[in-house]
Amino acid sequence: MKEQWRLLQTGSGTAFSNMAVDRAVLVVNSQGKVPPTVRFYGWVPPAISIGYFQSLVDEVDIGACERFGVDYVRRITGGGAVFHENELTYSIVIPQSHPEIPKNILKSYGRICGAVMKGLRQLGITSEYAPINDIITNGQKISGNAQTRKLETVLQHGTVLMDVDVDKMFSLLKVPNEKIKDKLITDVKQRVTSIRHLLGNEISFKEVAEAMKVGFEEEFHVELLEGKLSEEEVALAKKFEKECFSAKDWNYRR
Amino acid sequence: MRSQSTYKVPLGKLLKISLEFDEKNNVIRNIRITGDFFAYPEEAIELMETKLRNTVIEKELLQEKISSIITQYHIQFIGLNAEGLTQGILMCKP
Repeated sequence: MKEQWRLLQTGSGTAFSNMAVDRAVLVVNSQGKVPPTVRFYGWVPPAISIGYFQSLVDEVDIGACERFGVDYVRRITGGGAVFHENELTYSIVIPQSHPEIPKNILKSYGRICGAVMKGLRQLGITSEYAPINDIITNGQKISGNAQTRKLETVLQHGTVLMDVDVDKMFSLLKVPNEKIKDKLITDVKQRVTSIRHLLGNEISFKEVAEAMKVGFEEEFHVELLEGKLSEEEVALAKKFEKECFSAKDWNYRR
Repeated sequence: MRSQSTYKVPLGKLLKISLEFDEKNNVIRNIRITGDFFAYPEEAIELMETKLRNTVIEKELLQEKISSIITQYHIQFIGLNAEGLTQGILMCKP
């Protein structure tokens, strides 16, 4: 019999609650109270997340975010700034000691990205892992990923781009040199793609989630059973949302 | 004196250093290490910043100090390394 993991379909949430739920699941999973968990979610309102080590004011045009109604949040994972709008975000939380998770961090990125790649395959898209933390198709990025390991537990979350608006993204992010901004935008447009661009038609969040579910099941030889957050996870997520992810201290800490 | 640098680590990520240093004695007063790299555990970056205070800004000394902090505190960098961090700091100097 296949091992059963939990699948959470938490729909669209704010940046603060999205990041709080991932962290709460990590903590409660580390205590052995919930099974390994895969979660799919979206972002409403749209938001920018920055990597743990990035400086908020260096990376994000706060004024532009406020004008456009875009939230911003610091992640507990490293990596770069991401504009989350038309995408499916996945997260996986699993004990570091689980036999399916390589001890080597880079290898574990590759393994988890394998699930996303198998999911994309379900949609007819062939892709490959591009270390350190990207998935590309025809040389263009379609997914970015970031992993942390805390409390002997792995949390990796990542994006699957359903559509992308590079111009809007650059109106929200700061660039090191304004003079080369136009060239940078042109470069990024060539280097990034999306499911919509590749398939030539709109695809729903639900369809992408269904494909990703199959991808995770195939990669890890498990059955994903749809479940809910435990009461403890809900309470902890509320606490993290209030005390950490929506707090100025956290978001401006670097 | 305060200074900043941006350095793309070869085969790695973009490192940004903000440095406050004592020009007379050539030592770090304060350093902030930011960028889109990964470090495990993440909190180690704050430890690295604290431990680098009062270090002489000289290539070999810096690299040795950074390497010893990495070893002592079991820090694992991805997209960054001791050489890259040293280079980023040195680039802050005029």
